[in-house]
Amino acid sequence: MDCHLDIFFLEAVLNGILLAGLLALLALGLNLIFGVIDVVWICYAELVMVGMYGIHHAYKAGVPFPVAALIGIVLIALAGAALHHLVIRPVLDSAPINQLLVTGGVLFLLQAAATMAFGIDFKNLGIRLGSLGFAGMSFSWSRVITFVVALASMLALWLFLSRTYIGTAIRAIAQDRQIMPLMGVDSRRVYLITSAIGGGLAGLAAALMVLQYDIYPQIGLQFGPLIFMICVLGGLGNMLGGFIAAFIIGQFIAIGGSCMATEWGYATAFLFFMVAIFIRPQGLFAAKS
Amino acid sequence: MNFSHAKLCAGAVACAVTLAVAPVSADVKIGVIYDYTGPFAAGGSKAAGIGNKIAIDMINEKGGVEGHKIVPIYADAQSKTDVAINEAERLLNDAKVDLIMGVYSSAHCVPMAAKVDAAKKFMWANVCVASAVLKDKNLQYVFRPQVHSDQFGEASCTFIAENAKSKLKKEVKDVKVAIIHEDGPYGVGVAMGNEAKCKELGMQIAHKEGYAATATDLTALVTKLRRAQPDIILHTGYNPDITLFLRQSKEAGLRFDALIGHGAGYGQIDKLIETFKDDVNLFYNVDPVAAQLLDAKTLKPGLGDLTAEMVKRYKAESGAQEVPPHTSMGFNQAWVFLTDVLPRAIKKHGGFDPEALRKAALETDIPEGGTIQGYGVKFFPAGSKMAGQNERSSPVVMQYVKGETKIAWPASLKTIDAVLPLPKGHAYAR
Repeated sequence: MDCHLDIFFLEAVLNGILLAGLLALLALGLNLIFGVIDVVWICYAELVMVGMYGIHHAYKAGVPFPVAALIGIVLIALAGAALHHLVIRPVLDSAPINQLLVTGGVLFLLQAAATMAFGIDFKNLGIRLGSLGFAGMSFSWSRVITFVVALASMLALWLFLSRTYIGTAIRAIAQDRQIMPLMGVDSRRVYLITSAIGGGLAGLAAALMVLQYDIYPQIGLQFGPLIFMICVLGGLGNMLGGFIAAFIIGQFIAIGGSCMATEWGYATAFLFFMVAIFIRPQGLFAAKS
Repeated sequence: MNFSHAKLCAGAVACAVTLAVAPVSADVKIGVIYDYTGPFAAGGSKAAGIGNKIAIDMINEKGGVEGHKIVPIYADAQSKTDVAINEAERLLNDAKVDLIMGVYSSAHCVPMAAKVDAAKKFMWANVCVASAVLKDKNLQYVFRPQVHSDQFGEASCTFIAENAKSKLKKEVKDVKVAIIHEDGPYGVGVAMGNEAKCKELGMQIAHKEGYAATATDLTALVTKLRRAQPDIILHTGYNPDITLFLRQSKEAGLRFDALIGHGAGYGQIDKLIETFKDDVNLFYNVDPVAAQLLDAKTLKPGLGDLTAEMVKRYKAESGAQEVPPHTSMGFNQAWVFLTDVLPRAIKKHGGFDPEALRKAALETDIPEGGTIQGYGVKFFPAGSKMAGQNERSSPVVMQYVKGETKIAWPASLKTIDAVLPLPKGHAYAR
């Protein structure tokens, strides 16, 4: 343990907050889907990967980046709806393990398909946004933008769920999946819309990640375990809990990595997760069931 | 003995004589393992696999080895250690191959070599470099003509020491290096070599740290490097960790006099340029040399033509313009086996079972200049600290100059006077 409380330490803390923005955005979509449909999309990070490839191809074909990003978001929103319609809906009443296995199958299918379609090379857009420097510290603009967009997405989703009719229906279904259909709510439509929104959030994450990371078929494996850990820590299905958990994990990675070796930052994050789940198996921010 | 008995005996003798003098036509089955998919594929494994295949194809076009056709069975380790081990077991036990060849990742190589040796099967390691594959293991049936990681670490430190005064205008003792590496056997092995040699030469180790190659964020590491302010960064990694590090370093304003990579992701210059453009200009890479960079006149006659053929076939097969060092590694080691070890095993030791191959490998004695990568081949015998390792292998320090690869070290092979430190205006220059 070698902590220097200097400007570089502060930089590490702020970098942890910026990283948490991306992780929070990734957790948001997954939590929304689980909270409403009660199915864990193990393949969520692979949808992000497909979105990254879509944006890459659109951009390299000459489409301006904002439009390419929009295409990516729409593409993955449609993919999310299709995933629900074709894969999830048939197993909605199956045991949770079957639902996990079927989305796990989609994970491997998407990875293999991406390898076949796009090859093994690492791809990137080549867009450089530079960095923001102040007080001797330096931060990537792409991460700052990601952080701001993640906060805005959280706010927009909250407004949508609390101020719109369909948002209210989504919240109602999330509270009681058995009763609401008896009261006239079309649960199939709500599930489809929720899946599309969850997919759209994955597409949005993809649009921000292409500015920071290389694209390759296995990138989902880099983020998948971390996202699930955050969702479970925050209380699976609890969007606000997941958001806060992302910032806790981000700080473990940043401060742990700053005071110890980088890999210890991840190790301490997972250690904290294990201890927290021993104490509160339902997650830190979930009500006890 | 009546007539018919005599005829029968004569016939049997004739058959036996015929069988004894007839060419043996059994195929030599080789299990070739590389990562053709997954992150390692683009980090050089596929390039090495193609090089290996070219060598086998060329040998088969000449009729095989001593009348035996080479039958390769290619297996994809998918950049996963468990898959690599399972594939090795499948090839040995189900496909009944005569030997295992190839292997890119040291993380695969370390457990695989131990398993193959314990089963008394033969393995010829072409690319993986971790010293830990063989060091203090006393393996009997595993041989590696390739350079090992201790040598990688030593090469970069020696290069810095030789250039400190003239280029950096510093005494060696005043040079600060940072050693960063992925935390698998390959990264750890090279970093240990770096640390031992740089310390021995009197340099300061400003920072040393490992990280997981799958890390999603390396900003904490970059921040620590900014605090430590090393003159030189010695980096060992795969992809995508190398690109993540370089991207986050630039954004965070990390500056240094030089960056020396050690193979893997740094061996793929065309990919690095595609991603970082001029930002990677003048970076260094330690690796066994890409054969096409050597002056053919320094090699055994005919090896220049062999290299040219390898380059021609690689470009045709991959569509790439730049031929990475990994292609030479895959080709060269396979070529040494097929043209030196295997013929001797068949002719002198009666076949190509593990024992015959082991004896033939231990008799290998190729002098310097006898392979397309310049180094010779002679293996440390059983009982020595590095049993099975080529004692004549050596890496070079290469520098990327405007997309071209030049040799900066050792002096006997160099094709450029090293550009050090990074000139003003470079993205990472101080």
